[in-house]
Amino acid sequence: MSAFHSEYLVWHWPIAFYLFLAGVSAGAMFFAVLLKHLCVKDSPHLSGYIRAACLIAPVTVMAGLGILVTDLTKPLEFWKILVFYNPTSVMSVGVMILLVYTVLMFMWIALVMRPYIDEWSEMHLPWLQKITQWLSNIEPTLTGILVILSLSLGAYTGFLLSALPGYPMLNNPVLPILFLLSGLSSGAASSLLGGVLLHGNPDSREVKFIHKIEIPLILVEIVVIFTFFMGLVLTGGQSKIAAMNALGFGFWGAVFWFGILVIGLSVPLAMNLFMTATAKRRWAYVAATASCSLLGVLMLRHFILYTGQLTIA
Amino acid sequence: MDNIRRQFIKGGTALVAATSLYLLHDAGAQEELPQTKKRYALLHDETKCIGCNACAEACRLTNQVPQEVARLRIERTGPYGEFPDQYYRFTRVSCQHCEEAPCVNVCPTGAANIDRSTGIVSVNSWKCVGCQYCIAACPYHIRFINPVTHAADKCDFCKETNLREGKQPACVMACPTGALMFGDLEDPHSKIVAALNSQPVYRAKEDLGTHPKLFRIRAKAGEVSL
Repeated sequence: MSAFHSEYLVWHWPIAFYLFLAGVSAGAMFFAVLLKHLCVKDSPHLSGYIRAACLIAPVTVMAGLGILVTDLTKPLEFWKILVFYNPTSVMSVGVMILLVYTVLMFMWIALVMRPYIDEWSEMHLPWLQKITQWLSNIEPTLTGILVILSLSLGAYTGFLLSALPGYPMLNNPVLPILFLLSGLSSGAASSLLGGVLLHGNPDSREVKFIHKIEIPLILVEIVVIFTFFMGLVLTGGQSKIAAMNALGFGFWGAVFWFGILVIGLSVPLAMNLFMTATAKRRWAYVAATASCSLLGVLMLRHFILYTGQLTIA
Repeated sequence: MDNIRRQFIKGGTALVAATSLYLLHDAGAQEELPQTKKRYALLHDETKCIGCNACAEACRLTNQVPQEVARLRIERTGPYGEFPDQYYRFTRVSCQHCEEAPCVNVCPTGAANIDRSTGIVSVNSWKCVGCQYCIAACPYHIRFINPVTHAADKCDFCKETNLREGKQPACVMACPTGALMFGDLEDPHSKIVAALNSQPVYRAKEDLGTHPKLFRIRAKAGEVSL
C-alpha cells in the first residue's frame, strides 16, 4: 500500500492512466497516417490495422479526457479550462493541442472511411458528399498538421510533468522525449493488438511495417531511459537521491527492472527480432508482443508519476 | 504527388512558423519580473519565534480556514544541543509569494495570479477548476484544496480580510514576541527594508529561481545535526 502513498503525493493513478491513454491515442494516429501513406496506399479502409487505429485513437483520447475531468475537484466547471487560457501553462497549451487534434483526427478518420460515408450518404444525405470532397481537397495539409499535432500531444504528456520544479526527477528535460517515444510505441502496439482482434492478417505487410519501426524505437527508448537516469545521477544532490529512491529495492524498483525493462522492452524487442527472423507471424505472437509493450508503457507512466513525487527539491 | 507534397510542406511550415513566432514573442517578456505598485513581503525572525502557534490560530479565525487544512503552520524541529542548553527551531510553512511563482505559471485558467497592485500571489477561486497542477508545482508544498470551496487555497497576506481593512495580516498582529514583520519592498523607508538591509537573512529554495518574498532570520548557528 505504501508504494501508492507518499508525503508529497499530489497526482495519483488517474493521471497515470490519462497520460497513458493520451500517448496511445497520439501513437495510434501517428501510425495510422504512416500505414496509410507508406504501407497500404490503396483502400486503407479495408486494412484491419488502420481500422483499429481509427477506432483506438478517438476512444482513448475521449476516455483520457473523461478521466481527467472526473479527477478535477470541480468536474462540472471543466469548461472554464476551455474558456480561459494561460500561455505559460503547459496544461493550457495541451488543452489547445488536444482540442485541435481531436477535431483533425475525426476529419482524417472521415477521409479514410470515405467510401463507407459516401455510400451511405448517397441514399440519405447527399450534401454530406460535399464535405467529404472538401476534406479530400485539403487532405495533404490536414495530414501534415495531424502528424505534427499527434507528436506534440505525445510530448505534451511529458512536458506536463517536467514543468514541476519541486520534483527533481520530473523536472527533467529528457522526460518529454521518453514519453513521446513510449507513447508512439504504445500506439503501435495498440494498433497491432486491435488489428489482429479485428481479424487483420497477422502476417500482413502492415504488421511487418510496424515491427520494422518498433525495433529501433525500443532501442532508442532504452537509450533515453538510460540518459534520463544518468542525468539525474550526474546532477547530484536531490536529483541523485530521487534516482536512487526510484530504482532501488522495493516495489517501484521491481516494477522498473522487471516490469518495464524486461516485460515492457526486452520481451517485445526479442519477439520482434524473432518474428523478423522467422518466416511467418502468428496471431498469438503478434498479440502477446503488443500486450507486453502496452503493459510496459502503462507501468512506465505509473512508475514515473509515483516515484517522481517521492523525492522533493 | 508533387502537388500533395508541396501542400503538406506549406501547411506544416505555416504551423511551425506560427508557433515559433508566438513563442519568440513571449520570450522577451519572460525575463522581466512582474511590475507591481507595491511588493509586499514578510520577514520571520526565527530567533524571536517561540513556536506558540498564535499566528496559525489567528490566521484560521480571520480567514475562516476549515479545521482539516491550514494556510499557515509552524514546523518544529529539534531539540538541538545538550541539556540544559537545548533549543528548538521553528520554521514558518506558508505561501512565499514568489515573484516567479511556479503555481501561477502552470495554472491553466489563470486562477492562480499575482495581484498587480500588491504583488501578492492570489487565487481566484471562481476560475479554479481544481486540477491541482498548482499544488504539484509549488516547491514549498503549501497549497491545498479548500474542502468548502473545492478550489485551491493558501495564504494571501490577509488580502481579503485584514489588509482590506487597513490592518496588518492576522499572523503579524497575533505574534506575542514580534517575530513577524510585514511591509512593502518598494518603499525604501519601510521598516522591513531597513530590517532586511541590516542583518543576514535567507529564503527557502532560492536556487529554484522562484524569487520568494518570505524572508527568514536563522535561529541559531550550526547546520550539522548529529
